[in-house]
Amino acid sequence: MNSPSTDRGLAAVGLTRRFDTRTAVQDVTFDLARGEIVALLGPNGAGKTTTLRMLAGLIEPSAGEVRLDGARVEPGRADRLRSRVGFLTESPGLWDRLTVRENLLVYARLHGLTPASTAVERALDTFAIADRAEEAAAVLSKGLKQRVAIARALLHNPDIVLLDEPTSGLDPESARGLRELILRLRDDKRAVLISTHNLDEVQRVATRVAVLRQRLLALDTPDALRAQLFGTRVRIELRGAADRFVPVVHDAGRGVAAQGRVLLVATHDPIHDTPALVRCLVEAGADIVSVTPEEPSLEDVYLRLVRQPAGRDPRLVGRSPGDDGSGPGDEGSA
Amino acid sequence: MTRIAALLQKEFADLRHHPGLFIPPLFTAFVAIALPFIVAVVVPAVTGERLSDSSDFQIAVEMFRTQPITNGMDAEGAIQAWIFQQFLPLLVIAPVAASMSVAANAVVGEKQARTLEPLLATPITTRELLTAKILGSLLPALALTLGCFVIYAAAMAVFANPGVYRILLAPRSLGVFFLLGPLAALAALQLAVCVSSRVNDARTAQQIGVLVILPLAGALVAQLTGALMLTMPIVVGTAVLLAMVNVGLMVIGIRLFDRESILTRWK
Repeated sequence: MNSPSTDRGLAAVGLTRRFDTRTAVQDVTFDLARGEIVALLGPNGAGKTTTLRMLAGLIEPSAGEVRLDGARVEPGRADRLRSRVGFLTESPGLWDRLTVRENLLVYARLHGLTPASTAVERALDTFAIADRAEEAAAVLSKGLKQRVAIARALLHNPDIVLLDEPTSGLDPESARGLRELILRLRDDKRAVLISTHNLDEVQRVATRVAVLRQRLLALDTPDALRAQLFGTRVRIELRGAADRFVPVVHDAGRGVAAQGRVLLVATHDPIHDTPALVRCLVEAGADIVSVTPEEPSLEDVYLRLVRQPAGRDPRLVGRSPGDDGSGPGDEGSA
Repeated sequence: MTRIAALLQKEFADLRHHPGLFIPPLFTAFVAIALPFIVAVVVPAVTGERLSDSSDFQIAVEMFRTQPITNGMDAEGAIQAWIFQQFLPLLVIAPVAASMSVAANAVVGEKQARTLEPLLATPITTRELLTAKILGSLLPALALTLGCFVIYAAAMAVFANPGVYRILLAPRSLGVFFLLGPLAALAALQLAVCVSSRVNDARTAQQIGVLVILPLAGALVAQLTGALMLTMPIVVGTAVLLAMVNVGLMVIGIRLFDRESILTRWK
């Protein structure tokens, strides 16, 4: 079991949840610090929602514990945790017959916000739903319902935000708006955990990625996972057939593969190695058309992880924020 | 208290936005009020036969002439008073039966609408949630019961013989209405909410919940047939019993409400 490194924020320590004889989540350890976005990936039935529910204080772990600011959340005392966490459930779960304002007012009062109406007005403005405040939730589009649900989850200004498939079923414009909102949450120094199947979304917003299939298979920044699973490769396109230059590269001590007019060369440090590699090939008579670093997609990383046999590679689990500052930046940086 | 009030506010807003929910309780209440008037006032007026002409009601005459509150009434008035009092429990049962659908839907309805999980993600406790859910169906039922009482009394003052309405002011009537009624309603609706938190279908909850009404309906039939007379000691004794049942139901209800099962096993 790895120890979480943060004492400010939320941490799962050896979280395990069994339902009768079935184990939904086993020995999951990670932390969630303020100002970062962790994406929780995994196939259907991998235990993502169960993990989120344990972290939100909705269900108790069979073993292990949830820590809030470094302190264990005692069994049966999750109300403090629930008051600190904003949880967006998989379904918006709005009361259809109530108006948007009424939905938010009830939750503002459930969280003990005073005056509740001020908190609701602020949320209506922040999420640009003030003009729909008097409409019944039933008549809203899916995207608007999701926006109201997020406004509801953030009404009490929680510093920990758990989002279960926030962009599922949303049109591209709504999804983009939501992603911008998630990035704002990070900028506001909130700790954000997103469960999602949308790898493009993860690529755009996640600081770290946790891949779950009952156990935690991997936890690291997307770049670090790429490097660990695939290594770093440089793609060199030549004018003619590439296979005759394979021995040249091989003699330079690097792994290489030829595909038609393309050489794929493994390297640990592309910035340092590439100029020498190009010189070597030019001296050997190669006509180089282009040289680009090859970056496997997050989908490649994810599929390799979930397709590997059960069990985890300890090299892939346990990196904490601050260990590596190479997470992706803002929207569109990927 | 704040969280109970918050959820109650939601329950009432839901009722306000769904006025159709009031139709069955109002119709049931109307029938419960109209029935004794049909027997005691309308039928004799239509047939031209006085109730006191029938020997079937002699016992009523004897019983009610001895009571101070109906002292000095003629035979027709005494029989009317007897009929109105015998039907009194119906006015208590009807609103409760009608509110049963709201109570039966209380938890399972939230689950089916997928609104329960966000609700449970707030700091609300199980006790607060169940209290709000029970009050959400009990308070409208009690308001309806009170409304029935006022309308019943007013209609008796207008349509029945002079002074018959005073039977509603007798301690026994007041005990049935304002003690037995609310306690029976609380027990029935608590049980319905408990059932609602254990089944995964609103119809099942409603069907099981309606079973609660059966003992009350049995008591009503027994009273109408003369097999049981709700005397003051019986009213007080039953109230004490119901109070204990209510305490027990609250404890059992909280234990039965399993957040985890509701979230993880219900589909």
